[in-house]
Amino acid sequence: MIIVKDLHKTFEDNHVLRGVNYHVHQGEKIVVVGPSGSGKSTFLRCLNLLETPTSGEIWFDGQLITDPKVNIDKVRQHMGMVFQNFNLFNNHTIMENITLAPVKLKLMSKEEASENALSLLDRVGLRGKADSYPSQLSGGQKQRIAIVRSLAMNPRVMLFDEPTSALDPEMVGEVLDVMKGLAESGMTMVVVTHEMGFAREVGTRVLFMDEGNIMEENTPREFFNNPQCPRLQEFLSKVL
Amino acid sequence: MQTWFENVSKKFVMAFVEGDRWKLYLDGLGVTLEIAFFAAVLGLVIGTVVALMKLSVKKNGKKSIWSRIAGVYIDIIRGTPSVLQLLIMWFIVMKSCKNGVLVAVLSFGINSGAYVAEIVRAGILAVDKGQTEAGRSLGLSKAQTMIYIVIPQAIKNVLPPIGNEFIVLLKETAIVGYVSLTDLTRAANQITSRTYEAFMPLIGAAVIYFTIIKILTILLDKLERRLRKSDNR
Repeated sequence: MIIVKDLHKTFEDNHVLRGVNYHVHQGEKIVVVGPSGSGKSTFLRCLNLLETPTSGEIWFDGQLITDPKVNIDKVRQHMGMVFQNFNLFNNHTIMENITLAPVKLKLMSKEEASENALSLLDRVGLRGKADSYPSQLSGGQKQRIAIVRSLAMNPRVMLFDEPTSALDPEMVGEVLDVMKGLAESGMTMVVVTHEMGFAREVGTRVLFMDEGNIMEENTPREFFNNPQCPRLQEFLSKVL
Repeated sequence: MQTWFENVSKKFVMAFVEGDRWKLYLDGLGVTLEIAFFAAVLGLVIGTVVALMKLSVKKNGKKSIWSRIAGVYIDIIRGTPSVLQLLIMWFIVMKSCKNGVLVAVLSFGINSGAYVAEIVRAGILAVDKGQTEAGRSLGLSKAQTMIYIVIPQAIKNVLPPIGNEFIVLLKETAIVGYVSLTDLTRAANQITSRTYEAFMPLIGAAVIYFTIIKILTILLDKLERRLRKSDNR
């Protein structure tokens, strides 16, 4: 579904991604772990071109999206993204946050979008917050809304950029539960996270990134029980 | 005491009542407000467009040609006195135009636009980058993200400095006497030279400016408070 070929990204002198190759298949839940500065967030943000790759190719559903002629806005409609800092639109209510993109992009009528939004809000138990503003919600609630906002576009894949890193510890669970539910529904997911429990439980493949490349990739069982490369062994000994 | 009071009221009558002189202040105030209002509207339009131009980047992240043009405009306007800009507009650029008010509106509007552009640019930059990224990640275009997400939040940021700019602009119109328009300041000055009495006309004009600006300040405060309501922080 997503094919990444020899992906490089440099920020001025900083060579962040050094030739990443990967293939995400439909329905997979890819969990990306690694030390900070390893390029995992940059890798994720390249997948929907929030960062423009310096070189390399990214294919999504058979389309070469790194081609400058591609209308990236159209592509992004099918790729949901959830951010570390939620990034809910502060000037809009929760309902407007969820319906803005589908309505403005003329994918749904206002009524359809509202109905869809309410049923999605039910799924995360936040129907009562439809008319609140983001500033009135807790971090965990904001992140659940952010997930719902992406889902309202009916994406083919969901990208998560450290979705629980900015949360108070007691709110991490409620967000992970929503993500687990989403995984069970069959959504293709790429998740950058430090939650090893989530990686073990939900991931179909786990990637270890370090120094701008994928150093190891395996099933969660093999990844955690039988790590091969020394950097990963060292990493796991620190975080587990 | 008696004579002092008589003296003051005599001067007051001379400055405001005799020969229906109050009408001159009123006409002058009308010119001042007309120029200030239309120049403010023009400045707001120019400023917003120029701010967006200045923020525009090429695909590789470098400054666009639009950004450079906007930079040159802002540099020139901020680097020269507004009186000089007004004189240049009146005697050179629009030499054949006999409508002084129009010339003044254009001159002040173009002048104000440069300052408004910097205010709007700062207001847009102050909106968290994550807001733009979230909008773009949903498939909204650059323009849609600007219109529905960034600019509404930027407006809240820029309201106080924009209010300040309007106030500066209103007072700066006092220089239109240079191109023989009779605004409030010039009216007061003319009456001074006719009555050989400076105190009443000049202080009177000052009080009128002050009152207008005080009203403007109160209105802006109200607007700002209303916009902040959705924050609930």
